[in-house]
Amino acid sequence: MDINLEKFLFNLNTLAELGEEMASPKGFDNSVKSALYMVMGSFFASKGIIFGYDRDKKIFSPLASKGVGNANEVTLQLPEEVIKEFVKYNRPFDVKSDDPIVSVLGPARAELEKFHARIIVFLIVSDELLGLISINDKFSGEEYTAYDFQLLSVMAQHISFSFYSHSLLKRLMHKYSENKNLCENLVCAYYDTIHAFAAAIDAKDAYTRGHSYRVSSYSSALAREMGLFKEEVEGIRIAGLLHDIGKVAVDKSIINKASSLTKYEWSELYSHPVVGYEILSKIKFPWKGIPITTRNHHERIDGSGYPDRLKKLNIPMGARIMALVDAFDAMTTDRPYRRRLTFMEAMDQIKENLNKQFDPDIVYTFISIVRKEARNEADNPSIIPLLSEHEQLDSVFIEKLFEGFPKVH
Amino acid sequence: MINGQKNFKELNNTIVLYADNYINDTEGEKLEEICDDFLGKGIKNFIINFSGTELVNSIGISILIGIIEKIKDEKGVIVFSELNKINHSIFTVVGLTKHIRVSKTEDEALKLLENHRD
Repeated sequence: MDINLEKFLFNLNTLAELGEEMASPKGFDNSVKSALYMVMGSFFASKGIIFGYDRDKKIFSPLASKGVGNANEVTLQLPEEVIKEFVKYNRPFDVKSDDPIVSVLGPARAELEKFHARIIVFLIVSDELLGLISINDKFSGEEYTAYDFQLLSVMAQHISFSFYSHSLLKRLMHKYSENKNLCENLVCAYYDTIHAFAAAIDAKDAYTRGHSYRVSSYSSALAREMGLFKEEVEGIRIAGLLHDIGKVAVDKSIINKASSLTKYEWSELYSHPVVGYEILSKIKFPWKGIPITTRNHHERIDGSGYPDRLKKLNIPMGARIMALVDAFDAMTTDRPYRRRLTFMEAMDQIKENLNKQFDPDIVYTFISIVRKEARNEADNPSIIPLLSEHEQLDSVFIEKLFEGFPKVH
Repeated sequence: MINGQKNFKELNNTIVLYADNYINDTEGEKLEEICDDFLGKGIKNFIINFSGTELVNSIGISILIGIIEKIKDEKGVIVFSELNKINHSIFTVVGLTKHIRVSKTEDEALKLLENHRD
């Protein structure tokens, strides 16, 4: 076969491999290194370097080099107008030629000669400068030909497109990272707002300070234990913080009244789930079920609750959970009209109201969590540590307490 | 070592490198590092055995140039052995054969280097 044809075929194969390399998923740095080796192998050069151009910092820094020693710390700078000249020129040139473009390099020429630069080609896509390739004299001592310049031009185009994609990807990642941070800040602000609301709700009632926080903690522990999805657990946790938001519309004197309530006062108090629902329905939450959980957290399994008198499974899961933990927290904290019940007394009340007020499945899950927490088996205990008598609630006491409890079906 | 395989041996003050197909990947530059190490120890005779190399590409050529240049700088000798027809043809096309000696087998290359010493 004719030697020129063989060389042509070899170069054609290199171009095919270069295209494949630049599109390979093995990482940009590795691809650039392979690309440099391919260029050097094609032109029989023993020294070469590829610089990337940082358009923000306006400097070139090495991405890959071979045969030029340690080039890591080197940077090159070219004035804006010089860059414009090279973008316009956009083809390889011989540093030792009398082409006027060589003089445009200015002081950078001496810097590049430290890397034995003989042929230089800038990497450009759509008038955007992305980097440059420099290679030395041919190892064979032969001169670079017009054919070589054409081949290098094509190879540089391949490499430029890869640089361009990488640069776009980097910009995209930067934007993504900015948006992600923004989103995280918004989520923080969102949570802060919800917590502020919860604090405002609890502040209305001197006796229920921390009630919303505890209901939220208990209910999310229950939802987790019941195997609900992470998003559902979070929805129930947030509903716990906001379930009493309707009380903001109820007069403080009614909420804090120590004596029995009048009919009107009861109707005012009973209105808080619906008022809460109306307030929360207007908010577009990222979690489902918060308004309806708020509306139905005073429903009872036997249908005697309010406002909708729903029965059993017609009551949403979040509301059934909330009904138990809301009542449990009310029982275990002091109220204007009575002192707090002990854990044992509260559990007796719950037992008495099993299948009437409370869903047994929820109650058994609650017991299961308390047992685990008493045995120190829970990763993040969420119930016992919040009880004022938590020091007495060890596993022996808890096991004894639950002995007489109806068995889990 | 490349991919856990030893790719060189030392025989009578000569290093035989096995190019295999690693030579066609930037990982193949480890062969260049092996040469560097032995040149540093004063060894100047090198054989590259291409029996396991199907086709040398431009990355391989680039690595081989690096090796040849280093050996030449140290006034050493390098022999390529067991080249198949295609690789021989590629080395001729790119002008590499002007800078190295070629022998059919590794034994022949070793004898060539023995005679060179004499």
